[in-house]
Amino acid sequence: MLTRLSGGHVVDPANGRDEVADLYVEDGLVVDPPANGRVADETIDCTGLVVMAGAIDIHSHIAGGHVNTARLLLPEWHRAFQARPGETALSKVGWTTEETGLLYAEMGFTTVVEPAMAPSSALHAHLELADTPIIDKATLVVLGNDDMLMSMIREGESEGAIADYVAWTVSASRALGVKCINAGGSAAFKENVRKFDFDDVVPDYGVSSRQIVKALQTAVTSLGIPHPLHVHCNNLGVPGASSDSIEATIRAAEGSPLHLAHIQFYGYGTEGKRRFSSRGQKLAELVNSTPEVTVDIGQVMFGQTVTISSDELRQFAGSKQASPKKSIIFDHEANGGGVVPMNYKQKSYFNALQWAIGLELFLLIEDPSRVFFTTDHPNGAPFTTYPDIFALLMDRSVRAKWLEALPKSVVKMTSLPEIEREYTLTEIATMTRASPARLLGTSDRGHLGTGAVADVAVYRPDADKAKMFGKAAYVLKDGELVVKDGQVVKRKFGRALTLRPEPDKAMKTRLDRYFDDKYGLSARWFEVPEGALGRDEPFKVVPCRA
Amino acid sequence: MRVDTAWIDGQPATPEAALRAAADLLDSSRQPFVGGLRTDVIGLRSALSLARRIGAIVDHAGSAAVYPFIVPARESGAFLAAPAEMRRRADRVLILGNAAARTGADVIRMLTDAEPDLGAATRAGKRRFMTLGSKNATWPGAQETAHVDCASEEIVDVLGMVRATLAGRRTGEGALGEETVATIASFVAEASFCCVVFSPAEFGELGTEQIFGLVADLNETTRASTLPVFAEADAMGAALQATWTAGFPLRLSFGRGAAEHDAALNASERQLSGAGEADLAVLVEALAGASPATLEAAIPAILLTADPASAGSAKVAFHVATAGRDQDGVLYDPRFGGFIAKTAQTKSELPSVAAILDALAEQIGERARDAA
Repeated sequence: MLTRLSGGHVVDPANGRDEVADLYVEDGLVVDPPANGRVADETIDCTGLVVMAGAIDIHSHIAGGHVNTARLLLPEWHRAFQARPGETALSKVGWTTEETGLLYAEMGFTTVVEPAMAPSSALHAHLELADTPIIDKATLVVLGNDDMLMSMIREGESEGAIADYVAWTVSASRALGVKCINAGGSAAFKENVRKFDFDDVVPDYGVSSRQIVKALQTAVTSLGIPHPLHVHCNNLGVPGASSDSIEATIRAAEGSPLHLAHIQFYGYGTEGKRRFSSRGQKLAELVNSTPEVTVDIGQVMFGQTVTISSDELRQFAGSKQASPKKSIIFDHEANGGGVVPMNYKQKSYFNALQWAIGLELFLLIEDPSRVFFTTDHPNGAPFTTYPDIFALLMDRSVRAKWLEALPKSVVKMTSLPEIEREYTLTEIATMTRASPARLLGTSDRGHLGTGAVADVAVYRPDADKAKMFGKAAYVLKDGELVVKDGQVVKRKFGRALTLRPEPDKAMKTRLDRYFDDKYGLSARWFEVPEGALGRDEPFKVVPCRA
Repeated sequence: MRVDTAWIDGQPATPEAALRAAADLLDSSRQPFVGGLRTDVIGLRSALSLARRIGAIVDHAGSAAVYPFIVPARESGAFLAAPAEMRRRADRVLILGNAAARTGADVIRMLTDAEPDLGAATRAGKRRFMTLGSKNATWPGAQETAHVDCASEEIVDVLGMVRATLAGRRTGEGALGEETVATIASFVAEASFCCVVFSPAEFGELGTEQIFGLVADLNETTRASTLPVFAEADAMGAALQATWTAGFPLRLSFGRGAAEHDAALNASERQLSGAGEADLAVLVEALAGASPATLEAAIPAILLTADPASAGSAKVAFHVATAGRDQDGVLYDPRFGGFIAKTAQTKSELPSVAAILDALAEQIGERARDAA
């Protein structure tokens, strides 16, 4: 069926388009306008509306053991648990797999990346993703605190052998990339180390965080994995030390691609009487001058949320600030992790400054193709706050109103009031469509060129940008209309985008023996068989670069 | 020879007729209950989907074994470990009570079969075990174990005294006396990584909270975690799946549309006893070794069973394949602490749980469409 989206304002920076035009889709793909006078079977009138590719979220914790534990830990936040349902702390968070898919789709997001899948939790994560409707999904598999990798580095094994191990892990777990979370930090915490810097050494391995990051960066690059190594740095949230850690990590990129996650949590200095200040400006300058680096923000927004992380060391430290006062800390193989509820308060100096630092970074990093739109859902805020963040980026008068409500002491400590920049529609589309697709190596999406998957989001322009981006006028997923006027009108299941690098046979044999001997587990248990998910075509393979 | 795969009132029937009869029963039910739930992830997905469609109350037959874990974990938090990590890292293991040796035998064997080999301090020596329970409790380990004899019902109090001792507070004599309490306190506090193994069902919600509290205290200065073990591990898997599907770990109702959670009202035991709101049960008993206990239901039942011998007790019954044995399946494995894909040992022609439940849901959907 040929569908015509007629007369919309097409904003497609990947193809240099910013014009009123028709868009045609057929058999799930964007196609050229019919040359033979063929009339579309269906026309969606987009006159006066903004037409973009479906948005891509590169870092949102939506599935897996830790996410599910957060659901388990916080039943009181579910609307239905309360005697008088209504607005509860997380009633908009997209708590179940189903709500996650529907709420993302309603905002025009059509691809979302779960960025922290433990190898041991891969099947669990994919089972949840298989139950998440409408959107396409992908995962990043977590390495960097695992005994195998650290032992290989300690023993001086070759870059090729390490790459074989990474390839096996990516392939078995059906990941789209590799993430490294506080490299060595969780392993050190299991040895009762309470603080771990970039050049600190994991006890018993003699391997530093820097060595782990560099080994993984090399392996990812040599395997042709399109997405650069995705790094969650050491000392997240620690004033001073966080900033030092991210600076050291960025400098360690050394000309090769590296992605730094939720950098807002690292923009903290120690100036001022509260020993907590913004280093947003300095961090933005470093990102601007390091072209091989990409970043996402992890914007904090005010309200109740829950932090979910495989950074066991920092989650343990953060558990002292849990609100409500309960948390779950995991000592799993490799990373472990923690689930800690958090309530970011507008009247709190610390939380308000975190909010301002995130916006400073968004606005001071000059190239919108190197900065990505995230709240590190749900760590900085639930993804349902995205419309408000679009408004904050696109309208400085909105920022001014928010700033007025903050403690005066915060306003003095941030450069935000002086920043005049307002994101344009093209910059928003770059940050949330064109660039994420490039970063992930998923060239079939993020744009509206011929042959792209017909994931299309259509918005009704409004002076209130939160209103505009909160509810899409139309969303097409693989060419089918799934959302109309902000409401899901058709449910279907998307696929998980995965790499499938061919694992080396000798490494496979070695790992079979390793998991059996060391852990008493079968290596098969770390694999995600296609048939296990109970869906037709649950995966779509993305090629590695040659 | 004809092999029967469906029954109505104990009499063989075609699957089509049985599906119609089951749909008739559901049509006339005021409040259905979907339970048993002894199936794999794909079967459970269909069971939850059917429950949502028919507005059912949902619970697993083994939830009683996992709720003494779930409730304290979600009310006050916990430190939780993976068995495989503890196998490599824990230098001291404290096994509490009499039930863990039985219900957690596989998990404990992972600890007794190997010595710790991770960690500068932990891998230096042999793993040490301490059991705190009845003298006559047997456990699957071959290692030498320091045993502290203590009645099961006294253990939670003793742990309270251990916590007090570690905090430098004075305690009373208690069941074991000050010296023994100090011995236990030293054993856990001087570990480089202490692992506490216990069955939450033995200690109840408050007792489990005490154990989590002890481990939280230990983590202020050293490292420690817990390995709770369950009599019915698949109940834990079902609770996790229900949590991502509906937001809650079972004991939920779709009666008013959105999932509502009430751990007391929606408990399997209450609903099947006839004391609850349910007047009809859809029961799934399709795992290897599944217990037919739920067939003692005081309310009429539609049964999906791996054991045709139990079919006679239900109004309508279907013989279904066992996931992981007759068909490939995804099951929760306590040794892994997560879900694993299990390949079938034999290939069966029997329908899967999902196939029957989906067909039933389809039939109900068709009737609703016809009625509209």
